[in-house]
Amino acid sequence: MKKWLVSIVTFVVCFLPMASAFAAETTKAGSNAAGWAIALAAGIGLGIAAFGGALGQGRAAASALEGIARNPEASGKLFLPLILGLALIESLVIYAFVIALQLVGKL
Amino acid sequence: MFSLSLASGEHFSLFSYFLKMNHGYVHVAMAATVTLLIVWLSLLIHRSFKRDQEIGRDPLVPDDKLSLRNIVEIGLERLYQMFQNILGHDAEKHFGLLASIFLYILISNFMGLIPGFLPPTDNMNTNLAIGLVVFLYYNYQGFKESGVGYLKHFMGPVVPLIPLMFVIELVSHIVRPISLSLRLAGNMTGDHQVLGVFSNMTPLLVPVIFMALGFLVCFLQAFVFTLLSSVYIAMAVSHDH
Repeated sequence: MKKWLVSIVTFVVCFLPMASAFAAETTKAGSNAAGWAIALAAGIGLGIAAFGGALGQGRAAASALEGIARNPEASGKLFLPLILGLALIESLVIYAFVIALQLVGKL
Repeated sequence: MFSLSLASGEHFSLFSYFLKMNHGYVHVAMAATVTLLIVWLSLLIHRSFKRDQEIGRDPLVPDDKLSLRNIVEIGLERLYQMFQNILGHDAEKHFGLLASIFLYILISNFMGLIPGFLPPTDNMNTNLAIGLVVFLYYNYQGFKESGVGYLKHFMGPVVPLIPLMFVIELVSHIVRPISLSLRLAGNMTGDHQVLGVFSNMTPLLVPVIFMALGFLVCFLQAFVFTLLSSVYIAMAVSHDH
């Protein structure tokens, strides 16, 4: 029973500061004169990033598939490095996506 | 100024709709929900082990029917094998941290697929916390493993290059938690956004395809986060420099 008490108290202490975080706050959207340029930049920038990322991921997946086709037993060993490589390539596109979101937020 | 919440539009959330919660703090409530869910799940599993002990069955023997415990055991075993591929014999030592990070991120990501819930991982605050824990942990393990010699990892191969390599390595290490959490946050935000856009266009049937895609992305991102964490740990505790 004491263990239960300790865990409940720990939980309450951990999440009590949360309650103060829920104070009301208002955000307002600002308008920008160069909005059209920002919209263009976000769209085209993400397009270019997706283009490059797709090329890179395509190459990685193609050579992994080729490797598996030549030696099907290697598929287990190829899986982890493939996922790792794809994630690292994809993260560059995600960076561009984040920046595009930041730009859209300025509209 | 870089805002820590990536989502630019307002996504619908049950918390902000019914409890009139400010939208910027929904991820905290969601994180608490996920934590509660994990605690409940582990209590269930723990009770099942305890029941076995009381009956007199060996708790190591799995249940004979399909149960929650079986599913969790299979999942954790696969995860353990994967970490063993990367970390070798050290896997057992780091499995606790890595597996709990994996479970937390996975369940958080899946929360985003339930209509009316936002994933806590689409916010940089949640992810940076996990990323910083990983950062501190692998550096601590590195120092614990090779003492002051861990600093040799930052020095590069030859002596004249030390001033240059030290700066480069330092930046690359500092960027690691940021890139880890940014990747997760960006992926989850993007996934949620795509789902939202297609649900707005056609409310019926079409979003199911993106739901399936989201399922894959959710799993893959939790996987990649833990995979990269384990690679960082493996690099920190290696001796070949």
